[in-house]
Amino acid sequence: MEKLLAARLHAVKVRPYLAAALFALHIVEDRAVPTMGVDAHWRCYVSPAFVARMSVEDLAGVWVHEVSHLLRDHHERGARYAREHEEHGAFQRLRRNIAADFEINDDIYGDGLPRPAGVVLPSRLRLSDGLLMEEYLRTASMKGLAGDLAWLDCGSGADGEPRPWELGPDGAQGLTRQQRDAVRFRVTEAIKGAPGEAPAGWRRWADEAFQPPQPWRQLLGAAIRSAAGAPGVGENHSYRRPSRRSASLPGVILPSLRRTPPRVCVVIDTSGSVSDAELGSALLEVAAIARAVGGRRDLVSVVSCDAAAGVAVPLCRAESLELVGGGGTDLRSGFATALRRGPGPDVIVALTDGQTPWPSERPPCRTVVGLFPRPARRVNENDEDYEPDGPPDWARVVTIG
Amino acid sequence: MTVRTLLATPTQTPAPHESPASRLAVAGDLLALLRCTTTEPRPDEQLEALTLAVAADLPVLLWGEPGIGKTAALNQLADSLGLPLTTVIASVHEPSDFSGLPIVGEDPAVQGVPMAPPQWAVELVAAGRGLLFLDELSTATPAVQAALLRVVLERRVGSLQLPPGVRIVAAANPRASAADGWELSPPLANRFVHLYWVHDRDVVVRGLGGVWPRATLPSLDPDRLADAVALARRAVCGFLEARPTLIHRLPNSETRRGGAWPSPRSWEAALTLLAFGTAAGVSREVLALLVRGAVGDGPGLELLAHLDRMDLPNPEDLLAQPPRAELPERGDLRQAALEAVVAAVGARPEQARWDAAWTVLVRALETGAPDLLVAPATALAGLRRDTWEVPAAMERLADVIGIARTADRSVDRVRAAAKGARR
Repeated sequence: MEKLLAARLHAVKVRPYLAAALFALHIVEDRAVPTMGVDAHWRCYVSPAFVARMSVEDLAGVWVHEVSHLLRDHHERGARYAREHEEHGAFQRLRRNIAADFEINDDIYGDGLPRPAGVVLPSRLRLSDGLLMEEYLRTASMKGLAGDLAWLDCGSGADGEPRPWELGPDGAQGLTRQQRDAVRFRVTEAIKGAPGEAPAGWRRWADEAFQPPQPWRQLLGAAIRSAAGAPGVGENHSYRRPSRRSASLPGVILPSLRRTPPRVCVVIDTSGSVSDAELGSALLEVAAIARAVGGRRDLVSVVSCDAAAGVAVPLCRAESLELVGGGGTDLRSGFATALRRGPGPDVIVALTDGQTPWPSERPPCRTVVGLFPRPARRVNENDEDYEPDGPPDWARVVTIG
Repeated sequence: MTVRTLLATPTQTPAPHESPASRLAVAGDLLALLRCTTTEPRPDEQLEALTLAVAADLPVLLWGEPGIGKTAALNQLADSLGLPLTTVIASVHEPSDFSGLPIVGEDPAVQGVPMAPPQWAVELVAAGRGLLFLDELSTATPAVQAALLRVVLERRVGSLQLPPGVRIVAAANPRASAADGWELSPPLANRFVHLYWVHDRDVVVRGLGGVWPRATLPSLDPDRLADAVALARRAVCGFLEARPTLIHRLPNSETRRGGAWPSPRSWEAALTLLAFGTAAGVSREVLALLVRGAVGDGPGLELLAHLDRMDLPNPEDLLAQPPRAELPERGDLRQAALEAVVAAVGARPEQARWDAAWTVLVRALETGAPDLLVAPATALAGLRRDTWEVPAAMERLADVIGIARTADRSVDRVRAAAKGARR
């Protein structure tokens, strides 16, 4: 027991931002447990024999590993995956456990925590690091690993399948959902409070723990719909012509629903830094959404733009449009070209990686920016302090990819 | 009439149970059998939260996939509160159905143009009480949503004022499933308590088997009202004093749009909900649903963490009676309580208080895991003045020091090994 607690202290010392979660775990000693496992109620089951044969520093790594399962909600996610894909049984359970371990193990070790000898890493199946549990489950069968790792068992906290030795939701000392959320929240705050200390994987988790990222297609769709549907544009009610219900209600003035199809102009950044595949998928998406909100095809136009803007081309021709360009970007000329057409667009959708100067004032129409994320880097070799400005406040920004 | 016709009649006319009318009656019997279901009591946090918010007279917005049982839940709620249910599907209405239809009279210049309310509003006002259910809110056009602002906030429909006995609940489909939906504008979103409605597999299967759940609805305890208000005010005000930036924060990222966000209005809602929840004695889970639904996930969770801290024992009480100190069971809370004790001693360092703090630590050692004590004990030892004698209690923490040493040695080993590997 003392060895186990010393290991927990070791873990707290080298990972101070996980302290709240590590101390919140309730330890249950049980000879039936193969090694060390957790359940969804933040109880940690420990086999005394396992503790006896491990060193303190390796146990510290196990602590961090097990608490990571809980923080990343593998219980809930594993159970959901099993439900959605109808995958039950011992092998599938092991598969989920291995995938969850892959997600954790690629970035928790090092810097004060030794990597244990037999640890499972995605590289053993020639998979890349940094994916999510679900992505590993989809891409790999794990058949080759299952034989070696049949002993692996991190408890229901890792895969969502209850074990015989677990105390269950009614057992003593469990954390309720709200308490679990509160602990996870404190850990995210600790990670955000000390951004230099936590590795990138943990920081990403902290950013997304309470706001799971939504697919960009839906976000982009919602942004364009709301821009194209805002009062004054697109579908709206008006008194210009009487409603069809008017005849039955003399003396009452009824409005009618009128539709003015929005004109959407897509400004595309064709500088060298944006790949064709990214552009293609985003452009198709914009065209589909624009059609869905009632824009006729001739009302959707495309401007390709690098340092200088090309001409606006109606979408019906843009599907075979060659996106010419390369080199630097200046989206200001793209915006100018889009606005120069008469009648002006109701909505401008700019697809860019953001490494560009932006117009200094708000254009006279709604603006949606689809941003391809890029790691922060210097783009101007002559001026080390130069950093491109982010998209301006007046645009709604959707991160794509 | 011949004998033959007499004999033929029974075979030609259909049997009584085969006439069209009676066929429907049989179908009706079958339907009646199908609808004959029973209920069983079952705790339901979603329904408890909904009931409390409705009782607190705050507009509620239920988010949920189509067909998930939002309407069924509302029927149950209306039954249990004894309120008639009026359903208005927002997406098939026009703005004028909520703001009133202009009616041209004899001389508009003299009499003005009255804004006539629709029938459902007139009936609701005549009844004096009821549950107004605005369905399909997210598929209503922006103009209809703008007209609904007034209904939800000022409770006015055209020239009619909804009586205080009317409660408002709305429902919307999340963006993911509402392919042709509009998103909720931030001002409208801010007026609602957002509850996310999910179905429970067991409930659905058991319900289709004939037994639906019946939630025990929370009721307010008249004796706890004053305490509940005091606690809610203390919690929210204390929290916002510490985190003033959270008083007003418009949703900035795309994912948060259309949901709850903190503003003075929604904090007032959170305060009301805290008071109602406390007076009804509901669980923290239900409170969490409500508070997060009012001010958003991040600020809501922070407020709940603040409530947790308010539950910790007062460090001065612990120092006054160290041998009988009651410490929280959970490790992280226990450590927070001990750190508060050390901080209290640090704020007013006196030898008697310092000694008492050691006794509290020994008490913690007797009742829980020793590794929690390392950080507080180290901090407390650091507060020592030269003239203070080492209390006997400190000796009993030798085990703790042993564990700390083991941990330190193991950290050092790892660091040394890493250095060796780099060379």
